[in-house]
Amino acid sequence: MTEHMNPYVPILVMIGVATALAVAGVVVSRFIGPHRYNKAKLSPYESGMEATPGAAGGGRVPIRYYLIAMTFIVFDIEIVFLYPWAIAYERLSLFGLVAILSFLALITVPFVYEWRRGGFDW
Amino acid sequence: MGEQELFWVMSPVIVLASLTLLFARKAVYVLAGMIVVMIGLAVFYVTLEAPFLGMIQVIVYTGAIMMLILFVLMLVGVDQKESLRETIRGQRWIALAAATGLVVLIVTTVYRIELPIRDIGGMNDGGNPQVIANALFGEWVLVMEILGLVLISAAVSAIVLTHLPRSGDRRSQAERAEERVRARLNPVNKPMPGVYARRNALDVPAIDPEGKPVPASISRVLKARKQDKDGSEWRAIGKDEAAE
Amino acid sequence: MVNIVNALVSPTPSPSVTPPEGFVPWEQTLRGDSLLLVAIKAVAILVFLLLSVLFAVWFERKVISRMQERIGPNIHGPFGLFQLVGDALKLLLKEDVSVTKRDRVLYIAAPLISVICAFLVFSVIPIGPAVRIPFTEDVTPLQLTDFPVAALFILACAAVGVYGIVLGGWASGSTYPLVGAVRSSAQIISYELAMGLSLVTVFMMSSSMYTQDIVAAQADLWFGVLLLPAFLLYIVAMVGETNRLPFDLPEAEGELVAGYMTEYSSIKFAWYFLAEYINMLNVSAVATTLFLGGWRAPWPLSAVSDGVLNTGYWPVLWFLAKVWLLMFFFVWVRGSLMRLRYDQFMRLGWKLLIPIGLGWVVLWGVARVLYVKDWLPSVKQVTVPAAIVLGLATVVVLFWPSKPGEEKTGRGRVKEIDATAGGFPVPPKPGEKLPPSPRSTRTVDARSQAKEKGDRDKG
Repeated sequence: MTEHMNPYVPILVMIGVATALAVAGVVVSRFIGPHRYNKAKLSPYESGMEATPGAAGGGRVPIRYYLIAMTFIVFDIEIVFLYPWAIAYERLSLFGLVAILSFLALITVPFVYEWRRGGFDW
Repeated sequence: MGEQELFWVMSPVIVLASLTLLFARKAVYVLAGMIVVMIGLAVFYVTLEAPFLGMIQVIVYTGAIMMLILFVLMLVGVDQKESLRETIRGQRWIALAAATGLVVLIVTTVYRIELPIRDIGGMNDGGNPQVIANALFGEWVLVMEILGLVLISAAVSAIVLTHLPRSGDRRSQAERAEERVRARLNPVNKPMPGVYARRNALDVPAIDPEGKPVPASISRVLKARKQDKDGSEWRAIGKDEAAE
Repeated sequence: MVNIVNALVSPTPSPSVTPPEGFVPWEQTLRGDSLLLVAIKAVAILVFLLLSVLFAVWFERKVISRMQERIGPNIHGPFGLFQLVGDALKLLLKEDVSVTKRDRVLYIAAPLISVICAFLVFSVIPIGPAVRIPFTEDVTPLQLTDFPVAALFILACAAVGVYGIVLGGWASGSTYPLVGAVRSSAQIISYELAMGLSLVTVFMMSSSMYTQDIVAAQADLWFGVLLLPAFLLYIVAMVGETNRLPFDLPEAEGELVAGYMTEYSSIKFAWYFLAEYINMLNVSAVATTLFLGGWRAPWPLSAVSDGVLNTGYWPVLWFLAKVWLLMFFFVWVRGSLMRLRYDQFMRLGWKLLIPIGLGWVVLWGVARVLYVKDWLPSVKQVTVPAAIVLGLATVVVLFWPSKPGEEKTGRGRVKEIDATAGGFPVPPKPGEKLPPSPRSTRTVDARSQAKEKGDRDKG
């Protein structure tokens, strides 16, 4: 042990303890509990029907909101820039405010554009 | 504490995970590998005393990889295996040439680096996020704004290229219900499929009070796929019929 | 009101300012912990969470049944408390079924990801101030660890935890779980941003992302009062984050059987179940820490004999009381609200929560910077217009007239086109429409139109 505890080491300890518990649970459940399998139990659940053998077209799923998903990434990055500004805004003062506001205005452009084009309507 | 050891533990994990990009046949395995790489890099950032960057790495990249998963589901398919057929003629050779160039570039750059590059002791004085704030909103403010421009040009072009305006008008649930009533169709839901106590699955039609199957109770999709059942074998049998 | 004025006028000291004499940062106190102590704390948190989840299950069943005029579990033990032991053992002893079409690795990994990430959040939550450990001379805070980006660590854990749901839904190789997974990612898209935005003004007021600093900054006034819009935003986002009603679309029972966990049983299902309840506890604890003063005693009690109730082990009591109040809120919401439709909840996220979050950050940012610069003479000049603007904005957004009959496809007549005129089929442009499809007689629209046409011809 070093003189000072690195504040990130407890996180590693916690990950270790949690992983041990989670994995132990899965291993234990292999040995306790009944194992009486049959075909119906092991087939995917589709409300009692025969399971669909394989989806048409390689199982492609239409994602209606993929455009919103792209907008999400842009916003995610924007919020990340807001955090350092938020904890230092007093020192950054007016210059920082102008900088972050213009950045916010920039990022809001695709948001407003998509809204206007009806990208958020279902 | 243990910085070196952590590096030697994490590096093989990250390298192995990144190899899934080359060798995994299922697209979702590639994405799972990327998650491991991303979290591993975040651990490195934290050990190198850049905790803000480490956390941001996880927060932003989880969102980004989540989008990749969506696009895999949408464009590649749930369990489609990667096809190794060449779609562009000679793409392997072009890729190989480009890769060689990249390797040469990286090797020469790494070779020319002298360590330590710069003494960064005391860099984090006043707190790591505060230092980042000072850099972002001081020296590098113009870069940050330009980054914003790049981001929105990407986002706006994605919208321009892919957004399809609705070709018909949008009707609310109430309007649809009203139309159904006007057309004298089922004003409420169609009967649910399934016969109690015999077979409750979606593929068996409901039985009406007279004991006849109601074909409308089965989904159109199942009929198109020919997965529907007749229903007559599950219908209720009258006493005299059973006696026969 | 005096407190609000004080909080606005005297900015909280930022860490860059030299701290007063004898001030020991939290991080310093934590650094005195030995590895053994850290391990003990970690196990204690684990046990605490497991017991809390057991209690939460009983609590939820009891409260929801009272709300529905039922009695709830009352057979086993006092108040039916032993019911929860039975619930837990039942899950452990169930048969472990793995569907044939599963993906071997990710099917097992997914619930583990969920539950491990759920356990991690509590490691940065301050449950109390520094206390002396009984029978020793050691002093340690009631918290596993704290670091300069502790608040962001919470967000990161929540973000990774969602992979458990999405990968689990995919790895089951079944339809309902896949739909649940896709819905879950839609949920993240809509509510993670709102949650992130709600934290910005908290960081502004605390000037730090140490969780203990955030609690310390609320000594005079809780952020839940000072930053009410951000608090409300967080409350909505936290319900969305935990997949609870009215935002439980990834596991909507009526539509998707059990959503992403349909194909899971025994302990793997238990881990998902545990993760969901731990996440409820997590977001409640985070809300307590960021907005409700953390472990600090509520107002009348905090004044008792110079804040003696804010020292020693007392704060654990206040912390738990606040967390369980929020847990009650969760159950209450479940008992009163219905599940939103898919389009409704996307609209709520993108057209209401995000604009409000952005507007609030801009408003508070401008007001605070002007205050720091001392350019505004009185409090009223900021708070009153701010309240008015925000109120107006909310009203406008809420009552923005929607135009149901409006034709959105352009002006004038809709032209019918021959889609295959150029040799291959093309989709219609706005203002154009396709001739009726030969299959269109199947749809309700077509039949209603045909009906109307027939009526007109007759009349």
